[in-house]
This record gives sequence, C-alpha cells and structure tokens, in this order.
Amino acid sequence: MLIWFLPAFLVLLVLGLPVFFGLIAAPGILLWLNGQERDITLLYRNLYNGMDSFPLMAIPFFMLAGELMNKGGITIRLVEFSQALMGHLRGGLAHVNILSSMLFAGLSGSAVADTSALGSMLIPAMEKQGYTRRFAAAVTAASSVIGPIIPPSGIMIIYAYVMGESVAALFLAGIVPGALVGIGLMLCVRVLADRYDLPKAERIVHRGQSIAPTEGWISLVMLRLNLGGLMAAIAAIFVPLNGWALTAFFVVVAHVLLMWLRRRVDSDFRVVAKKAVVPLQTPIVILGGILLGVFTPTEAAAIAVFYALLVGFFILHSLKLSDLPEVLSRAAMTSAVVLLLVGAAMAFKTVVSLSHAPQILAEFILALSDNPLILLFLINVLLFIVGMFLDAGPAIIILGPILGPIFTDLGVDPVHFAIIMSVNLTVGLATPPMGLVLFVASSVSGEKVERIARAILPFLAVEVAVIFLITYFPAISMTIPRLTGFVN
Amino acid sequence: QEYTLRATANSNENDEDYDGLIVFKNFVEQASNGEIAVEIFMGTQLCSNGAECLQGIADGSIDIYISTSGGAAGIFPFVQVLDLPYLMANDRIAETVLENGSPFVDTMQQMVLDTSGGAVRLMTIGNTGGWRNFANTQGRVTQPSDLEGMKIRTVVADLPQELVRAMGASPTPIPWPELFTSLQTGVVEGSKNGITDIMSMKFPDAGLQYLTLDGHAYMGALWFMNNETFMSMPEELRRVVLDGFYQLQQATFASPKRKSIDAYEAFREAGGDIYVPSPDEKEQFAEAAQPVYEWFQQNVEGGEEIFQAMNDAVSAAEEEIDAARSADMN
Amino acid sequence: MGVLRGLLRPLEVWNDTVLPLGRALAILAVGLMVLAILIQVFFRYVLNNALPWPDEAARFCMLWMTGLIAPMAYRRGGFVAIDMVETLLPRRVSAVLSIVLLLISGLVLFVALRIGWSEVTGFGGQFATASLWVPWIDGWFRVPRSWMMASLVVGVALLLIVNLELIVRSLIIALGGGERLKPLAPADDELMAE
Ligand code: NA
Ligand code: NA
Repeated sequence: MLIWFLPAFLVLLVLGLPVFFGLIAAPGILLWLNGQERDITLLYRNLYNGMDSFPLMAIPFFMLAGELMNKGGITIRLVEFSQALMGHLRGGLAHVNILSSMLFAGLSGSAVADTSALGSMLIPAMEKQGYTRRFAAAVTAASSVIGPIIPPSGIMIIYAYVMGESVAALFLAGIVPGALVGIGLMLCVRVLADRYDLPKAERIVHRGQSIAPTEGWISLVMLRLNLGGLMAAIAAIFVPLNGWALTAFFVVVAHVLLMWLRRRVDSDFRVVAKKAVVPLQTPIVILGGILLGVFTPTEAAAIAVFYALLVGFFILHSLKLSDLPEVLSRAAMTSAVVLLLVGAAMAFKTVVSLSHAPQILAEFILALSDNPLILLFLINVLLFIVGMFLDAGPAIIILGPILGPIFTDLGVDPVHFAIIMSVNLTVGLATPPMGLVLFVASSVSGEKVERIARAILPFLAVEVAVIFLITYFPAISMTIPRLTGFVN
Repeated sequence: QEYTLRATANSNENDEDYDGLIVFKNFVEQASNGEIAVEIFMGTQLCSNGAECLQGIADGSIDIYISTSGGAAGIFPFVQVLDLPYLMANDRIAETVLENGSPFVDTMQQMVLDTSGGAVRLMTIGNTGGWRNFANTQGRVTQPSDLEGMKIRTVVADLPQELVRAMGASPTPIPWPELFTSLQTGVVEGSKNGITDIMSMKFPDAGLQYLTLDGHAYMGALWFMNNETFMSMPEELRRVVLDGFYQLQQATFASPKRKSIDAYEAFREAGGDIYVPSPDEKEQFAEAAQPVYEWFQQNVEGGEEIFQAMNDAVSAAEEEIDAARSADMN
Repeated sequence: MGVLRGLLRPLEVWNDTVLPLGRALAILAVGLMVLAILIQVFFRYVLNNALPWPDEAARFCMLWMTGLIAPMAYRRGGFVAIDMVETLLPRRVSAVLSIVLLLISGLVLFVALRIGWSEVTGFGGQFATASLWVPWIDGWFRVPRSWMMASLVVGVALLLIVNLELIVRSLIIALGGGERLKPLAPADDELMAE
C-alpha cells in the first residue's frame, strides 16, 4: 500500500503541484489512508530537522556571495576576460559563454544563478551578432550546468550532508569533470561553428579601459602569488623542499614569466586580464581555505561572502549600502526555497524507508546484474530519467541513500559515485519537463522552453558523453582528491 | 502478531547498537511466540538526532531508540553524569553500576519518567563503543599538561567542553562528518572518541596517531522506549520485553570489547602510538578534571541528585566486586 | 464575484503588509548568520579559542530566515513546479485544476500547522538548545528548542494565508474575472532556486 506514494507523487508533480507540496502530500495522504496517522508527525518533524543543519548553511552563503559579486560588477569582468581569451575564435561568443560559465562556477554554487547572471548579459549580445535566440539560450543553459560541478556546489553540499561524505573531497573531485564538460561543450561549438558559419567576435569590448591604482597593485601581487603558489604546489610533489622557500622561488619565476608575457600582449588585454584577478581570488580563497584547514566548507562560504563585500565596497567601489537589502533578500528567498525542498525531501525519504522501498529497490537492481560496469550504465540511465522529472537536490536526498550503498558495496568509491550522481542530476537541470535552468534561460531570453529544449540537444549529447567518461574513468574525478590526500 | 515495535539507532550495522538490537529482536520475537515483532531501522531513516528521535519516542511514532548521553542531554541534562570523567574505573564496575535495579539506574529511570511527563521510559543502559580516550595528531600525551593549548574536537554539549577546558585545551565543535578533514588540515588537533569510532572513520589516515588510554568517559548507551507502548502490553509480554533489554544490554557490553581488539590492532598497524597512563598519571588527569564535578552539580538540573546516586553506586559496586574477588581468590 | 472580491481584499492587505515585514526580518537574519560564522572563524583561527554558540545561533537565524521569507517566495510563484499540463489545458479547466492543486497544498499546510503547533508546545520544544543563552531578570537562561521550532510554524501559518489568497484569486479567474486582479510577481525575475 505504502509503496504507491511514488507514483502518487509523480502524478501530483506532473499535474503541476509545487514539488515542495508534492513531496509531503503524496506520502502524507497514503499514510492517512493506511491508518498510520501518527507517522504523519514524522513527516513534519523530518521537514523541520532536514533544514536544521549546519553544513546546509553553506547554500545560502554561496548564494549570497554569488548575488553580491553579480551586483558588484564581477560578472561583466569575467565575461570580458573570457572574451579577451576566446572571442577571436569562430563561434566566439558561444565559447565566451561557456568559458564565463566555467569561471563563474568558481564563485557560485548554483546553475540557476549562472543562467540568470550570464544569460541576461550574453544572450542579447549573441543575438546582436546574428546568433539565433534559441541557440544563445541553449548555450547558456547547457554551460550553466557547469556551475554546480566546479566547486563550490550547492548540490554537492546536499550530497555530502545526506550521505555523510566530506564536502571538501566532493568539491575537489568536481573540478576536472566540470572542466571536461566545458571543454566538451567548446568542441561541440567548434563543430557547429563550421556548419552554421558562426561569427567571430572582437576580443576587446571596450578599448581604453583603465584600472584603479590600488586594484592594479593588488592584481599585480595576487597574480604573482597565485601563479607562483600553483607552480610551487606542483613542484612540491616532486621536490622535497621547504614550502616557503619553494613558494618564494616560484613567485620570482612567476614574476619573470609575467614580465616576459607583458611585452607580447596589448595594453587593453592586460587591463581586462588584471580586472579579472581580484574576482577570481574567490575560488582560491574558498578551496585554499578548505585545503589548508583554515576553515570548514560552511565557514569558507561565509568567508566568500566577506570577500565579496570587501571587494565590492573597498576595492571595486561597485557596491552601495543601499544595494544590500535587495541582494540579501534575493539570496534569502532563493535559499529558503531550496531549504524547504531539502526538508521536504528528507520527510519524503522517511516514508521511503518505512515502506521498505530501499531494500526492494536494492534487491531489484542487484538482480539485474552483479557487474558494476553494467549496473553503472543502468543507473546512469535511471538517474537521467529521474533528473528529467525531479530537481537535483530532492533526487539526491531520496535516491542517494538507496543507490550509494549498493555501489559502495560493489567497490565503487563513494566519492566517485557522488560525482556520477551529482553530474548526472545536474545535467538533468537542463532537460524538460523539469529543467529549472531551461525555465530561467527562457525567462531571461524570452524564448519558448520547447524551442530552447530542441536547440540544446547537441550539447546535452556531449554532456551525456562526459557523464559516461566520468563513470568509466574514475581517475577523472578521483585524481585531485587523491593527490591532496582527501581520499585514500 | 499483536505488537510491532519500531526500533531505531542512528548508527550503522557495524555498530554495537545493531548487535544489541538483533539480539533483542531475536529474543523478543521468540519468547513472545511471535506476538511481538520488532522492526529495526538503522541510521537516519526515521530521525537523525537525539532531539528528533526522542520526540518520536515521546509521541509513539518510534517505540525504541538508543541515545548517547550527548543526544539526550538537551532534555535529560542529568544523563551527562555518564560523561563525568574517571568516576567509574573499569568495565566491571561500570557494568555493576548500570545493572537494572541498582539504585543509580532506578534514580535515573525515575528522573527520565518525571522529566518527560510519563511519556518516555529508560529501559536499560548499555555501552556503545567502549570508553572515550584522548587522541591527537601532535604527540604522545602522558599528563594533562601535554594537552595544553590543543584544539580538541567535542560535540556541542557543555560537559565535554568543560572537561576539555579543565585540561587546559581548547574545545572546538566540529560536525562528525567533517572531522576527518578537520584533523587532516589542522582545524582541530585532537578528539575524544572510542577506538572503534576512530578506526571506522579511518582517523589515523588523517594524522590522528597518538592515543592515550585515559578512559575518561564510559560511552553509555541509553535505551529509551515509549512508555505507553510498554504499559499497554499485558504483563507477560512486558516481562519478555524487559528480559529482551537485559539480553540487549549484555550484548552491547560484550560487543565493543571484542570489536576493540581488532580496532587497536589496526590502529597500531596504521602506525598509531598507544599510551597507557600509569596510576600516578591517571591520578593527575583525575585531579585536573575536578572542576568538572563541581560544574556538573552546580549547573546541571538534577545534577546533585544523580551525582550522589552515581557515587553511591560506584562505592557499592567497588565493595561488591572486591568482596567477590577476594571470595574467588581463596 | 462580489463576495469573492470582498474575501480577497483583507487577504491582500494582510499579505501586502506582513510579508514585507517578514522579508525585512529575514534579511536581518541572513546578515546575522554571516556575522556569527565570521565571528567563529575569527575566534577559532585568530584567537585559537572556538566559541560554543555561533554554529547554533547561525542555524537559528537560518531557520527563521526560511520561515519568514518563504511565504513571499510562494506568493510570487517561486515554488518550483511543472506547469506543462496547465498550459496545455483550456483556460477554464486549467483554472479548476489549479484550484484543486491549491486545495491540496492548503491541506498540507493546515495539517502541518496543527502538527507544528503541538510540536512546539510539546515534548520536543522543551529540549534545551545546546549553547544559546539569553539574559533575563534573574540571570541567564537557556533558550528552549521551541524558539527555533517556532520558525517553521510561523512560516507554515503565513504560507497558509498566502494559499488562501491564491485560492480566492483562482476562483475569481475560474469565474472569468481574472483581468482585474493585480499581479503578484514583481517585474524583475526575483525568484528561482537551486
Ligand atoms: Na560552482
Ligand atoms: Na530536468
């Protein structure tokens, strides 16, 4: 009897009941019909307790940091920087769209935020250059999916919370898969550019820009520290030397290298690149802080907010105090909706357990095959279909605890499985009928969802291919967390 | 069957809680001749922490739940008496003190019933994970002063934090799933856990290499039941349930001892350093912990009463065991 | 129709007044959340002395933020839903469907309100928070968990009132009087999640 809650939920969902209410109404009604009134209390209680969690707090924080940076003019800087790097290629603005998404992904944890921030800027620009509106919207939607794959990531915070994994390990594991999705999409644009004769773009949008002296100096120093630090970190794997000495040496190397490069690029490019340095410290602060043990992921998220405020008010002078209520309110509203969904999914999960569905499903899956490779294929298909109908967060909360242990027992690393599941369900955000990213792309561009959905198909095909790459080559996701010691 | 008991524990199937539940289920279902069925839900399937699960116990949506003292302290603050350091010297004393029918257990059962307005019943107190010890990533700790200035992870509860402070260290609350990373990156430098938890989370890989067997707290497992469910049963079934909890308690006493052998072995193999403080050093630890006893009696509701009961029970147990021992020896 | 409009008016006035108030408090809560965690980072990393309260205080703020601002998100259509079927159906039928769906949501909220109230006033509310204290006439006293749990009950109550307004609006639309309704969503795209 109780097992009917799943079809009941789907029916309510397709009829148009908000997911939040569907997640509670379907199991609630069945419990009532089943004479289990006392268990309806369990639904309510898990709704509340599902939201009452410290790790989840990273979600509103990253949301807020993203809003602050968007308001503070950081988005434009990232787009101009991307354009300076890739604008001259055929299909230039499409490449720029994808690269901006990858850079923006380092600041924001949400695909929807990426779509609205980048889409409102790039879709009109692409239209002006002769791209069709549906193509522009499709590129935006497809690349926004990178947002929650490259850290920080709201979806991975939820996964870690439900499954008791380390947020840091999942964040690190997402870096390469995210970059891979971006590269795949760029290759796809490359092919389409030949076929549809997509235009090139100017590398520099606004000539003769200047950079404030303070920011110029900060960028100069940070760039050397970043580059030197990166080289030192890589060198440290091979050379057993004191970290500080190594860093100092490579900062000097970085300086010489940059001075050499300086003569080879024009001054406009230099300014645009310099203007991207301060914004791009955000992912470095977040990941660096977590890696060095300065703070937990939730604290890193709060630090990201602090950094965004610092940059907006004191370095770029692009934020005003009067902007804050609006920004805070947007972040609060979007996070409230996500948190309620998380809570409702936790409540739903309780009834899933009461109905013994996990055992039934696990037995069913293991009866199909005991070869993990075949099962992973089947699970990817299942996840893709689920992702079409269900938002990524609730899907992870409901299915993670059922599927995770099955594959861990079969020898799949929990972090690897987390990435398979997160990436697959994230791609689901760009598939109809329940593709949040598609909705936002539609509202930003004014193009119909169905038309975007058709234009996005080639990009989705690429993303599916990447999902299978990630599935069958664990090294793609596991190498960075292994090298940094977050997974043994 | 007549009764279906829904039992839950927030741990997993490798935990001693599960051993206890399996024994309970098996015994009760057989002894009741199938009149009672026990459904076990491990992990956070029904509820995910002490407050939430005990709410379920109180309103009957869950029948049986095992809580640590930390999980129940929010509503029954006096259960933290189990966390008071160095009161019970060893397993034999602890197991005698925690026998159902001992004045200590009677007192605590009555206090639980009173505090919950007759909704929650404390069935028995078992063990979950042996004893808590100080472990750290920095170096061997032989006396309290070695802990000075160290950032030690605790749960967000007053007593463990007071204890860490009393040792001159700095208590740092970190969520359990983040502890591995936090140890690895140095957000915290130590923790206070049982050996099985240390090994199941692979903390030595995060650098937690130095373990001092000070045994500062008994990891008591408080088994609660919905009072109404229990009282609604006919007397002979109540007897079966009570005997079932006795079996469960014995199983959870035994299980951590067996499991900890492998865990200590694995800890050593992972390069871990295990230090057993001498009686003299143990005395120093106990001395340093003195402020905690006062803090407990002054700040915890019902603290004085339960502290007294615990002390009496410990003295009685020591006497009883000494007597039994000397009778056996000659 | 006149009756419906008469019903709608007080609901509109209530939601127009109370929800912005909730939003203002939610904004405050977000700010305090960030502040609490930053204080924690400072104390732990700089002063090497972790504080017990910031984590719980931040959770306290997060729950109240959710309860206080979610009703406004709901009113503006920010709760995620599939609108495929509704757009496929003729206008009147789709109006009826949306009333049915709103009634289901209302039922959920009504039951949640009843349970929530008994949770806050019952056993679960008596739990003490682990680390939150407030000053009172005779010294410090520990904040009970019910103060945190009340956030969801307040949120559910406000959602229920929004839901009532939406039902009356849908009735008016179903009866063909939709043109004169004022729009609920703001001009900008101030919604969405994930
Ligand atoms: Na991201
Ligand atoms: Na989708």
